[in-house]
Order: sequence, then structure tokens, then C-alpha cells
Amino acid sequence: MRQLQSLLFILGFFFSGQTTASDYHEQLLLRPLHPSLLLASFNFQSNTTWASFEQQNFRYFPRSLGQILQHANTRELHLRFSLGRWDAESWGARPWGGAREGGTGVELWAWVEAETDEEADGRWLTLTNALSGLFCASLNFIDSTRTTRPVMSFQPSGGHNDSTLENLHLLHGTLPREVVCTENLTPFLKLLPCKGKAGISSLLDGHKLFDASWQSMSIDVRPICAEGETECQLQITQTIDMVLDLQRSKRPRDNPIPRPVANEELKCDTSKPYNSHDTCFPLDTAAQEEGWSLSQIFGHSLKGSCPLATDGADPVCINVPHARHVFTSAGAHEHKDPNGYLRCFELSPDGEFDLTLPDQDITEKAPLEQPLLYAERSFIGYGQESGGVQAILTNPSPTESVDFVYMESLPWFMKLYLHTLKAKINGKDKPVIQEMYYRPALDRKRGTQLEVRILIPANSTVVLTYDFEKAILRYTEYPPDANRGFDIAPAVITIGNVSIRTTSLLLPLPTPDFSMPYNVIILTSTVMALSFGFVFNLLVRRFVAVDEADQWDLRAVRLKIAAAGKRILGRFGSGKGKVENIKKVQ
Amino acid sequence: MNIDRRKATLFGAAAAVRLLLFTGFPGLPDLLTARVEISTPVTSFKRLQEGLYLYNHNVSPYDGGVYHQAPLLLPLFALLPSSATYPAFTYLLYIIVDLLSANALMQIADSGEAGSSKLYTSPRKDKKWSSFAIAAAFLFNPFTIATCIGRPTSVFTTCAILHAISKAVAGNSFTSMFALSFAAYLSMYPILLFPPLALLCFDRKRPMKGQESVYNFVFGNAMAVAGSMYSLLHMSSLITGSWEFLLSTYGVQLLLPDLTPNVGLWWYFFIEMFDSFRNFFLGVFWIHLSSYVAGLTIRLRRQPLFVIVTLLGIFAIFKPYPSISDTSLFLAVLPLYRHVLPLMRYTFLASSTILYATLLGPAFYYLWIYAGSGNANFFYAITLVWSLGLSVLVADALFAVLRDEWEVERPEMKGKEIRQI
Repeated sequence: MRQLQSLLFILGFFFSGQTTASDYHEQLLLRPLHPSLLLASFNFQSNTTWASFEQQNFRYFPRSLGQILQHANTRELHLRFSLGRWDAESWGARPWGGAREGGTGVELWAWVEAETDEEADGRWLTLTNALSGLFCASLNFIDSTRTTRPVMSFQPSGGHNDSTLENLHLLHGTLPREVVCTENLTPFLKLLPCKGKAGISSLLDGHKLFDASWQSMSIDVRPICAEGETECQLQITQTIDMVLDLQRSKRPRDNPIPRPVANEELKCDTSKPYNSHDTCFPLDTAAQEEGWSLSQIFGHSLKGSCPLATDGADPVCINVPHARHVFTSAGAHEHKDPNGYLRCFELSPDGEFDLTLPDQDITEKAPLEQPLLYAERSFIGYGQESGGVQAILTNPSPTESVDFVYMESLPWFMKLYLHTLKAKINGKDKPVIQEMYYRPALDRKRGTQLEVRILIPANSTVVLTYDFEKAILRYTEYPPDANRGFDIAPAVITIGNVSIRTTSLLLPLPTPDFSMPYNVIILTSTVMALSFGFVFNLLVRRFVAVDEADQWDLRAVRLKIAAAGKRILGRFGSGKGKVENIKKVQ
Repeated sequence: MNIDRRKATLFGAAAAVRLLLFTGFPGLPDLLTARVEISTPVTSFKRLQEGLYLYNHNVSPYDGGVYHQAPLLLPLFALLPSSATYPAFTYLLYIIVDLLSANALMQIADSGEAGSSKLYTSPRKDKKWSSFAIAAAFLFNPFTIATCIGRPTSVFTTCAILHAISKAVAGNSFTSMFALSFAAYLSMYPILLFPPLALLCFDRKRPMKGQESVYNFVFGNAMAVAGSMYSLLHMSSLITGSWEFLLSTYGVQLLLPDLTPNVGLWWYFFIEMFDSFRNFFLGVFWIHLSSYVAGLTIRLRRQPLFVIVTLLGIFAIFKPYPSISDTSLFLAVLPLYRHVLPLMRYTFLASSTILYATLLGPAFYYLWIYAGSGNANFFYAITLVWSLGLSVLVADALFAVLRDEWEVERPEMKGKEIRQI
């Protein structure tokens, strides 16, 4: 909690400095997580006045994004690209308290100004298509089946006028299957004033970012209207958070294959009776802090500070106990936070900056903040016909109860049975669901939207379960790798202003045989034709005794053909005669 | 008195078997409800529960992709105590519906319409099973019992159809038409039974002064069906508050958006169909299903009851969402024609094919969905065999009846081999 306070202090310092002018701020916060992992949070923020935004006078606000927002009448925008799973049990609370987090894949929600729902849908379509082009992501696949209009989740974080608030429509879309990669990072960096050439953004490299155990990129655009002021500001916040595995990141790029540690470098527990030159029980290294440096884990050092960040905040901070040795390259000034575990560095505008933490035996660690809620979600049941979803929500606080909204947006082919929705608290049936909003799916038109408001008392666990049925699709509706399954978007848990996500799920659906269209058409048609033939053959033909019927042997056939031939010849001959008669008359 | 006691014993035994299965095996009802052979998207009890839940919580069940059943079922089941807490009431309702169906079937059998109608009397008409035996064959048919335990709403349609026939043979045309419109209201396809049923009513109505022409009679009955259908639909729209249920109930049967596997032929065909031809083939399938009505009604004008029997068999094969409930209805009315059964040629083939499909169907479905060692073609192949077996049975029964008719014209041909020209 304390380092969050110090972070807020820094942010507060920065906020108080800005009121009217457009300005830019960037900061990197490094936080070692316990098992040799490092959380790096990059934050880039710039403000512009509403008037200059309207006049298309862009300075730090990216023009490409600004024009899209103006064109689509979007007042507030939140876009997330995420990968991996945040392990809350061992990593503690999420960076930014979860306010900058998105579900696996791409998630987008926005407040669009429109008179009617149809108009809002049209503008949402414009927005998703434009953003799709800007960020090289498949955002244009957010169609009506993937769009929801949350009712209880998501509150506008910006200040909106009461007059515009009435016409604002919240739309939310997810693409859980989208693979976030370097093609999304490049346009992201282009939006920054220093464009990854200087300042902390120069550390960002696709090879390192997408190699992380967990990473999240976010873009938030929101208006800020201070109390009593008529002039509003528009704020864009871009963040990148990643959890790097130190050992993995330190591996040199030209020799990336992990190799066993050499015998003499192993640290063995010599008190074990079996310890010898070829047996080793590894020593517990929890007390041993691993050494690393910025240039080791990001591949290169920081290329000076961004000259446009003129708000005076220190661009690099690290969250370690004061007893930990931290060495920097020349020209940087260290500022220690007296009452915390935080120290920040002021950089020289030119000259490279590197940060080195050596190997050190130290027992004191910066404490991890406890999250407000642990959330897990998984499938239950077996077979490809039906199944269930189980969400386990734990409130770890011994004193405070948590009030939150659990939102599921499921695809239409996962047919939810709401009457099977059950919530158990600590294994007992008690009413914990306070409010519910449900919009059932329509086949091929829209997905299911379920929002449940739950109150969990202190130190309790709620288990939410429901059943669903797996629909079978038309064969053209399956993706090319149909048997991999379908990604189901994470559930969004909104606690006040922050929203955290569960992991996404993989849903296997029953599949038809994709090689069979012609065979099925032929076989089914044959059965239908047989049955039709059976019945109508009986209806239209007469019964006769066997001996009364014409015999169809070879002789009968020959005679019939001969008779038919004679008849045709005869007709032909008489026709000729008629023509001759007509000629004679003439 | 004796017969009544026998009937009471029979009905009591049938109810006891069902009650025993319901209470003795508590997992069985839900197991059977989940079977695709019993529950289809338009009849499933689990979907009914979901619709009921939404209805009770003021969410329109028709603004969703799960509930596709008739709106009047909602208030009916809302009146019953919840099946999750007091399942006994639901069990009793389904048992009573089965017994009502059996009662109607006994009335049809007692009327003797199968053996001798107004225009035709079979020379073999004395060779028949008693109504008691026919009802027993219906009540103890494993398909009927499984359907009752699985609780799909198709049992209401079955009951309505059997009542429509029993009222028609009693000459009670208005009640019959009302029962038919109720069946059509529940699942749409029974409306195709109207022509033979109207003719059956016409044949069986009590002779009155001033002979009414058949056209006027049919027209009057059509008006009666239209009127009662309209009042049922209007009542539904009052209950649900809008007309959107039409698209969600009858639209689903017409357009087949839900492709859940069942014993019929439509689901896999429309999974594999090319998108551009989907609507064309939906039209073809519906025309194919309705094409049998006119031909059979004209050709078998003298035996309208048998037209109904044949159509019920054809519906069990070719309707969009068939289940074994439809087959059990066909197998219930087929024994009325006991006297022509000896004329059938492929009884062994048809019955062994049906038995084979019955046993292998669940096994192949398991291999596809649960074990993963088979694919969709396994279950598809077994539905083909099932359909083929049933259509052989239907066509063979039709052959037997036509031959029976022919032998009235040519009595000397009895037992001789014949051909068709």
C-alpha cells in the first residue's frame, strides 16, 4: 500500500503542475516481484485543451488517433492489448490497481456520443474499423456478436458534461483470440511524442516485450473537467506493463538456448548426507537477490531522457528497499523516498543511462500489495455437448467486504442456462447476488451478456456456477483450426473504478466432418428420394397379377422396338405424302 | 365393467412403471432430458425450464436463442410448483398426459374406423387387436416411456393429435378441429394433417337432413381451425406482450437456425450445406414434407385414417426436429391396422433396421461427443439408417393397405403374387 501512496504522490505532483498548457509526462517504474521476476510499468501521459483538440491543433496528442475520435464522435476511449496471466497469488495486486488492465487479446470500450442506438452502432463500427487500421489489429472483427452494452460494469472515468452524458453510449467489445505482437507495438510507439527514440520508450523492443510472462498495453483517452472551470482538457494515457523473467531476459540474444549450470557454479546444500561431487541438493536462494541491469534485460541501455517531458518528474523509479545496492551510470541523480521503498532517478538529457543491481544477500524485500479480490474461472463438465463454468471469487481482506459487478460476455454458440446459475458462499447456499442484468444471446446476431452484482463479506469465497450447452455450427462458421476450440472472453470484475479480468477460456465445440459436404448432400438426398419413390410409386401405379403384366424378356423388347420403329416410319411416310399432295394442288 | 377394470389395471400399471422410474432412479429424468434422441431444441424440457425462469423474471424468453416453444406452456408450467423443488407435480402431469393419449387411442381403436370406414370395408377387418392391447402397446413401448421420463413438450402435441383423431371418429368435428389447432399451435407441423382429418370428420359425422357438400364442410372446418389458431396466437401475444414469439417458435422450425443433432436428416444436411443454397434447400425440404399430403389424401380417399397414420410416419422421418417421441406416436397408431400387417413384405427388414439404429445410435453419439474416437459421420450414418428403416416401414404399410383395397376389386387375387404397372 505504501508504494502505491508514493506513486500517487508522484502522480499528484504531476497533476497539480498541469492546468492549462498542453504537457507531457513519462515514467518507468520497476518493481521486482518475488521469484526472480521484474515488473516494468511504463507510463506516458499527455494533455491537451479541448479547444485545441476541436481546432485540430495537436501538439502531444497524436493526430492520427485524435482525428479518428473526432470522426467517430467518441468522447472516451479505452483500448487494451494483453497477453499472459497475472499470477495474483504470488505477484500480489496488479499494476495501477487493475485500472489499466485488459483481457487476453484485444479489448476496447468507448463512450460514443449519438442520438439513437442505431447511430451509436454506426459510429462504433467506424471507430473499430479505423482503429483496426491504425493498430494493425483485427478490431474490425468486433461485430454485433462481440459487442455488448454494459449496464452495471464500467463507469466513465473522465468528466463529462451532464448534457453530453445523456447521449453517451457505452459499447464494449473483445477479441480474445487476437495474438498481440510487434505489429501492434510499432503503431503504439508512433503515438508517443518521442516515438521510442529517446526517453524510457527507447527501452521498448518487441523481442523483449512479447517474450514477457505477462504484458499489457493500454491506451486511455478521457476528458478532464476540473470543478469550477469551463475549460476542459483531454488526456491520453498510454501504459505498458510487463512481467519479465530475469533469467530468461538475461540470456544473450546470440546464444539463447538455456544450458545446464556448470557443476562448479551449482550452490549445493552441503549438510545433506548424500552430497557429493555428482549429487547436489540446491540451496534455497530466496535470501539471494539476483543481479541484473537495464541493458541486460532490455537488450540496450536507456538513450537519455525525452526532451519533451518537461514536467520535472523523475523518469525512472525502482521499488526496492533502501538497503539494496543500486548503481547508475554517470550523470543521473538519485532521489530516495524517505518513508518507502521507492527511489527515483533524474536523467541527463543526453548520454546513455543504465541501472545495475548486483547480486546481494538481503532478506528485506519491498512488500507486495494484496489484491482486493482473487478471481479464477474455469470450465467444468466433460464432453462436447454441454458443460459448465465455475468462477471462484475470494475476498482476502479480513475486515472489509467487497462489492463488485461480475460481467460475462459470451458468444452466442455457448447457450447459457440462467436457471442453473448458483452462487455459494463458503460452501453454503446464501443469497449473495444483489442485482442481475441478463441479455440472452440471439443465434448469429448477438452474444450473451450477464452482469451480476455480488457482495462478498470479509474473508469469504463465493463460487459461481452455471451450465451451458454447446451449439454445433454450420461448417463455414468454424475457423480453419476448428478442433483447437473457441476462445471465450475473460469475465470482467468491476470494483469501483478498477476492473480486473479472469483468464480467457478455450471452448471445444462439436465439429462436423469438413470433407463431407458433397457426400452428405448426396446421401441425404438419396434417402429422401428413396422414401419419396417408395410412396409415390405405390400411389401412382396400378396393381396387376404377375401373369397379367407385360413380360419383359428379350423377345418382348425386340418386338416392342420393332413396333415402335414401324410406327415412326409410318408417320414419316404419311407426312411425305401430304407434302406431295399440297404441291399437286398448287 | 370387466373392461373398465382391465383398463384401470393397465393404466395403473403404466403409471406405476413411470413413477417407479421417476422415483427409483432420480438421475434418470435429467439424463434422458439431455439425450438428443428425446429432446430437440423445440421440445427440450431443460429449455422449457430456462424459458420459464426468464418468464418468471420478466425477461422475454423469445428475445433469446434458447427457448423456441409455444408461449401458452409458460403460464401452464408457471402454475405448477417448480420442478426443481417439487418434481412430483411435473412427473404426475406427464404421466396423466400419457394416459390421456392412451385413452384417446383406445377410443379410436374401439370405433373400428381402421377396419371399415364409410366408403370402404376391409375383407380382413375382423382380424384386429383389442383397444386394450393397442393401448398397452403404446403405454409400454420403450420409446413412449423414455419420452415420458425425458419430459419433452412433444407429448402435448402427441396427446392433442390423438384427441383430434378420436374426436373426428366420434363425429365431433369442431372439437377435433380445436384439438388439431392446439397441436399445430404447439409444434406447427400437425397443420398438414388437416385435409385427411377434415375428410375423416366428414365421413364420420352423423347423417343429418340436407346432405352438406364436402367442399362446404371442409371450408367450414378450415374456418374453425383458422379461428381457434388465431385465438390461441392472440392469447399468446397477450401473455408475452408482443408478436415476436412467432419468429422464435415457428420461424425456428422453418429456418432451422439451431443445428443441434437429432434423429432426423435436416441437421447434418444444413451444417454441411453451402451458404448460398441454404434457403433453396430449406424450401425443398419443406415442399418435400408437405408433398405427401395431397397425394395420399387423394389416393386413399376411402381410408382417411390411414392417410393420417402414414403422414405421422412421414413426419417422424422428415420433419425439421424429429425425436423418438414422433416415432412412438407412429408406432402407437400403426397397430390399428393389424388386419393388413400380414400383407407387408419387409417387416423383418424394417424392424431389425430400426432396432439396429436404436441400439447403435446412442453408442455412436457417445463415440463422437464424449469419447472423441468417432466423428460426426458416425451419428449421421445411424440417422440415415434409422430414417431408411422407418421409411421402409411406412411404405410397406402403405403397400399393404393398397393391396387390401385392390383385393376387394379382385377377390380372386388373394395370396397371389402381384406387380405394379
